Amino acid sequence: MFSSELKFIVQLGILIVFTRIGGHWLRRWLRLPGVLGELIVGMLIGPYALGKISWPWVGAMFPPLNGAMPISTELYAVATFASIVLLFLSGLETDLSTFLRYSVAGTIVGIGGVVFSFLLGAGCALWFGLADSWLDPHALFLGAVGTATSVGITARILSEHRKMDSAEGVTVMAAAVFDDVLGVIILAIVVGTVRAETSGGPSWQHILWTAGKAFGFWIVATVAGLLLARRFSRILKYFKTTQAISALALGCALLVAGLSEMAGLAMIIGAYIMGLSLSRTDLVQVIQREIEGLHNILVPVFFATMGMLVNFAAVVPVFKIGLIYSLLAVISKVAGCGLPALFCGFNRHGAIRIGTGMLPRGEVALIVAGIGLTSGAIGQDIFGIAILMTVITTVLGPLFLSASFENPAPGLRHPEDTTKTVAPPIVLPFPSADMADFMVSRIVTAFRNEEFYVYRLTPEEPTYHIRKDDIFFILSRDGQEVRLTTSQRHATMARLLVAEEMLTLRSMLHMATEDGDYASFEQNFVATLFQDSTPPPAE
Amino acid sequence: MNLKKTLTAETISLNLQGTTKDAVLAELVDLLMASGHIRDRDAVLKAVQEREKRMSTGMQNGIAIPHGKSDSVDCLVAALGIKRSGVDFGALDGQPSVIFVMTVSPDSRTGPHIQFLAEISRPLNDPAVRAKLLAATTPDEVLHLLLG
Repeated sequence: MFSSELKFIVQLGILIVFTRIGGHWLRRWLRLPGVLGELIVGMLIGPYALGKISWPWVGAMFPPLNGAMPISTELYAVATFASIVLLFLSGLETDLSTFLRYSVAGTIVGIGGVVFSFLLGAGCALWFGLADSWLDPHALFLGAVGTATSVGITARILSEHRKMDSAEGVTVMAAAVFDDVLGVIILAIVVGTVRAETSGGPSWQHILWTAGKAFGFWIVATVAGLLLARRFSRILKYFKTTQAISALALGCALLVAGLSEMAGLAMIIGAYIMGLSLSRTDLVQVIQREIEGLHNILVPVFFATMGMLVNFAAVVPVFKIGLIYSLLAVISKVAGCGLPALFCGFNRHGAIRIGTGMLPRGEVALIVAGIGLTSGAIGQDIFGIAILMTVITTVLGPLFLSASFENPAPGLRHPEDTTKTVAPPIVLPFPSADMADFMVSRIVTAFRNEEFYVYRLTPEEPTYHIRKDDIFFILSRDGQEVRLTTSQRHATMARLLVAEEMLTLRSMLHMATEDGDYASFEQNFVATLFQDSTPPPAE
Repeated sequence: MNLKKTLTAETISLNLQGTTKDAVLAELVDLLMASGHIRDRDAVLKAVQEREKRMSTGMQNGIAIPHGKSDSVDCLVAALGIKRSGVDFGALDGQPSVIFVMTVSPDSRTGPHIQFLAEISRPLNDPAVRAKLLAATTPDEVLHLLLG
């Protein structure tokens, strides 16, 4: 038999290995989001499936434990930590300025989706007798689970179709931010209301008080975070190394998460606020890059752990309700977000793209469901329904969204003129890709010398995001061409910097070809390579 | 970045005396030297002249932005000069230059250099600002026009 520490380490190892493989297979062979593979792996190896089978010498790997939580507290603690990392990064990734620019359309679309989702979700619980009233925890949780769109899944699809900066793309992202925020507030209210049940049962007064407290905490913490973010980032920069900066930022996110819990709200709210606050500083990409490794290992464990909590026996009796709930979850976002989009300048194509873009639910839905289950507010049946809905919307969302972009028709009734805000890109054609690469590295160094934070998006593609405070550039190489894009406001800096680097390149070329010493440098270097000489002594 | 800390009244001259490119460059470096911002006048002048040799920093509409990097300064420093009658600076549009913004930053330390040039140049794109600059009678007026 294993000791409990050894068992935990082995369990964690199994989870990390199998979720990676499951996620990889699903993404590669079925072209579905990896999160589904991770969820499914969790279901398969969890305590309600293979995990309970006793193996020779080692026993059962994930034996079901009694009580609301069928897995060990250590494992659940890792999943909780992963959810904090996930929401901290979600907050960091929030493009607040884009959100504010598209805040009107985003807010209307976001509110539409949240209201429809909550009412249809809670209504479904009432209709099928899973809840007695709108204040029943089952109704509240089924309402809350469906509200938040998975920004990550939507962003990945938009990015694959190069539609991230389209009017539909930014509206979906702004609306997704808004419904994340609303979803988190709703979660806070629901958790507060359910906790109040233990002290005399919820009432409208109590709900109003909880809502006020949640909204108050949200507003105060967010405003304080945004106001203090620059000062906080200056303090972080004092520590110079990116590792120290990121570790301190994550540590503070955990502390704020703890404060949030102590204030009677969910921990992820604090983590999200911390990320959101830092999202407007120039440290955002540094922290993202450093925490990405942790995120890549831990977050699949979180999704798998959520899968492990699914008790198939408890889901079977409510499977049909689960399917109907999932259908309502689809309708609530497509209609709830698509219809308001029609009133925000979008045509039918744009409205469908926005509606389907808002469809996938993911991390927040799972976190809400997990909190409901572990707090005892909902049972295995409601939890199973929530997981089923997450799986279905995560499968359908990318499929629908990709299909909606196949028709290249504009999504706006009056396509906008972006030339007023975005400067025409600086395009530098070079005689070879190698030379273009050299220029990219020169420009990157020049920006770093100006104390900009430069972040390469992926190791495969030479595309860089360059940031300092509110100044933002995108540098990329496409074949033999180098492109530098920025706003009209910062176009002068782009042009001056590129001109200086072109001058340096010209000087270097001149020196290499005209200067006597350098012009024959390589010849001198190899001239004696094959000259007859005495062989060196053997060692 | 804080432009107000970099460009101050003591490094502004509303009436440059030089009539050649080299004379104007030397006069602007002298302004920086007199304000105590640089340690080695000749090293800074050489750095700025070397940069000019590669390509003139005379832009369009009478604006020139001579600049260079030298470890004779500890941080980014700037001077502004006006020569209403204009100086042949080898500008891109062939016109005489009348407004000169000189920037020098440390060679071996990172920090804003081009960013400063870009930010100080932005208001100069406005013909009304240029006209007011040429009509300015005190350095404080210039500071107010450029930095608000």
